[in-house]
Amino acid sequence: MSSVNAVLAGRGGQGVLLLTRLLATAAALAGRPVMVSETHGMSRRGGSVVCHLKLGDSRSPLIRRGTADCLVGLDLHETLRNLPFLRRGAVLLTNSEQPLPAEVEPVLHLVDIRAHRLPASQMADALGSRAVANVVMAGFAGRHLSLEAESLSQALENLVRGNLHLNRQALEAGLAAGQ
Amino acid sequence: MSNRPADERGQLLMGNQAIALGLVEAGLRVGTAYPGTPSSEILAGINALKKELGLAIHTEWSVNEKIALEVALAASWTGLRAAVAMKQVGLNVASDPLFSAAYTGVVAGLVIISADDPGPHSSQTEQDSRLLALTAKIPVLDPSTPEEARQMAAIALELSERYRLPVLLRPTTRLCHAVQSLARPAPIQQHPLKARFEKDKKRWIATPRLRYLLHCELNDKLARLEAEFETSPLNEELAAEAPGGLGIIASGVAFETAREVLDELGRKVPLLKIGTPHPLPREKVSRFIERFDQVLVLEEPDACIELQLPRRNHVRGRLDGTVPGAGELTAEVVYEILARLLQAPGTGSGLPELESLASQLSLPPGGPRLCPGCAHRSAFFVMRKVLHRAIFPGDIGCYTLGTNLRAVDTFLDMGASITMASGFFHANQALGDPRPIVATIGDSTFLHSGIPALINAVHTGARFVLLILDNATTAMTGFQPTAATESADGTASARAVSIEQLVRACGVEFLERADPYDQDGLARLLLRAHEHASSSQGGVAVLLAERPCVLYEPDSVTVKVKVEVTSQCDGCRYCLEAFECPALVLRPDGSRVDIDETLCIDCGQCLDACYKGFIVVKDSTA
Repeated sequence: MSSVNAVLAGRGGQGVLLLTRLLATAAALAGRPVMVSETHGMSRRGGSVVCHLKLGDSRSPLIRRGTADCLVGLDLHETLRNLPFLRRGAVLLTNSEQPLPAEVEPVLHLVDIRAHRLPASQMADALGSRAVANVVMAGFAGRHLSLEAESLSQALENLVRGNLHLNRQALEAGLAAGQ
Repeated sequence: MSNRPADERGQLLMGNQAIALGLVEAGLRVGTAYPGTPSSEILAGINALKKELGLAIHTEWSVNEKIALEVALAASWTGLRAAVAMKQVGLNVASDPLFSAAYTGVVAGLVIISADDPGPHSSQTEQDSRLLALTAKIPVLDPSTPEEARQMAAIALELSERYRLPVLLRPTTRLCHAVQSLARPAPIQQHPLKARFEKDKKRWIATPRLRYLLHCELNDKLARLEAEFETSPLNEELAAEAPGGLGIIASGVAFETAREVLDELGRKVPLLKIGTPHPLPREKVSRFIERFDQVLVLEEPDACIELQLPRRNHVRGRLDGTVPGAGELTAEVVYEILARLLQAPGTGSGLPELESLASQLSLPPGGPRLCPGCAHRSAFFVMRKVLHRAIFPGDIGCYTLGTNLRAVDTFLDMGASITMASGFFHANQALGDPRPIVATIGDSTFLHSGIPALINAVHTGARFVLLILDNATTAMTGFQPTAATESADGTASARAVSIEQLVRACGVEFLERADPYDQDGLARLLLRAHEHASSSQGGVAVLLAERPCVLYEPDSVTVKVKVEVTSQCDGCRYCLEAFECPALVLRPDGSRVDIDETLCIDCGQCLDACYKGFIVVKDSTA
């Protein structure tokens, strides 16, 4: 299987870590080598949280700017802040109801980046809790990273404590949107 | 007793957990630590394995790093394999026993894990633990991946036992927080113990004259270790067909980064991986260097290997400025260095279109902030309101972020709030500067090194206000227990010591307890404390500001107050600056502030954050 580099970004409290762990665990369950770089400590307190996810044989934890195949953003500002990680022809997945700022779209077009928007927070609201927007995005991103729905569901069972039913619904919604 | 962990299929381990696993697999019997990013998950990982596998391991979150090292050292002298974990600045605190333990040596394996923080991401310095080990004459292993860290943890225990020397295992932030899918662990055997402490006058209580002999012995151990490292697989060359030009010596995460960047550049450059930066296998390294026109040394966070090279005339690294003297060796930095030396095209940064776009969008700073509902915020807000002229010495923990609310003016190291407050008092007395001094320190930091500081302040007649912000946990590093909470290892009950009694025993005469959520009450107490500290008859006035961390104990917010921002809000930003709650959000057009309902925890603490009164209790009947 070819290697995939993904950057996942959001603010502290939005669940970037769980989103990343879900994707990483699903990939590991499918037998793919995984390397993740997480953010812990001071930077988790309400500030920017960025995780790097590498599927494939890489043994270095960090992704270089300009080389990520995919950026998953839970928050608009953190998405925009991390745009320079993307390579030409990459995929951008954002949690947003609104289109990207007007000045962004033409630049993305210029470097062949395909942007897909999902109102994950609103979808999570409809399911009953905005807190599971990260799980909606996990389903959505899982599709783009060619992860099996079954592996993602198993990852969810392994990692999520608490309302599993709600989380399953969130994952399903994300997977369906990523079809 | 034999155990096997539960199904490992698809299980991912963080570098710190991999270290824990490696230690436990190698028969660890005692694990101690003081929490500090990026090292905190090591002891937490040992605790988790101990619980999961039902192993007999004494673990403790010690009061500070010096204590943690000494407890582990005594275990080793008794014949039990032991490990102690800390961050790099913790090693400074533990440096006194570190230097002495190199001379005395150990009995059972003792691994000291000191996690460095190139960047720095969560530290006050970028210091290199390997250099401290070099000075202390202690061997160092430097892993590059979580998998290797797990192996090196076991190797370190074995080496330590064979050479009777403490061994430093030195991961860095990116390794500590890297998560890798790891091979299933072997079953873990725990044999019955026959160990006991044997008295040895010439070693354990060596006088200075005998210490000279121990020093000679230490030098001999290091010489033998260096000889072993000359042929050890820990230092291995990744050969490549590129004679003459460039060779690279790398260690730690920088080794993997270099390997990946070379792949990306499509260049084959011989790479010598150094897993034992001290003692450095100097012959092997010299032979490697002689083969090339120039050799680049990539290591973090400072020059340790490079410094030990016998000849450096065609060596490129931190010492000649080829590698920046500060900051992390990110993939971008390594790319820039290698592209320059290999005369390859391209830069380390992203696509120019996206780099310039991101810099043109004026994005709000993404720096850390106190959590919504954090009681520290309430305390800082009241401090600013009541004694805004004061000098605010701060300390190390989440509450260092009080600087965002302009209620922390200094931070230096653990416990320094109290000593700096004393120092400011005595300096201000000499200058006739009447400004009040209000220091803040957390519960864990107070116990770590605030107590001698408080004794010193009382004894020398310093007068200031001290708020001990007691949230009943070590919050910043992931909620480790403190000596003032019930459990020392997170699994067993322990006796909680009383911060109040400790403060009184230091000789403090003014001591009051306060709930920071009662802002008016805290304000009144602050004024009284200030009065005490201002009077020549007074002294240090201590307020115990007690309220559990809301992240750790969300149920502690029993009175829920839903607030809203009225339509009169004019977007003046006062609340954003003075209160700085992440749940108070300025509209993109700057017209007004809204409450972010997903972040707000209904603590109601922001009701006074708008001096115009536009933040109000939400009318549920409307």
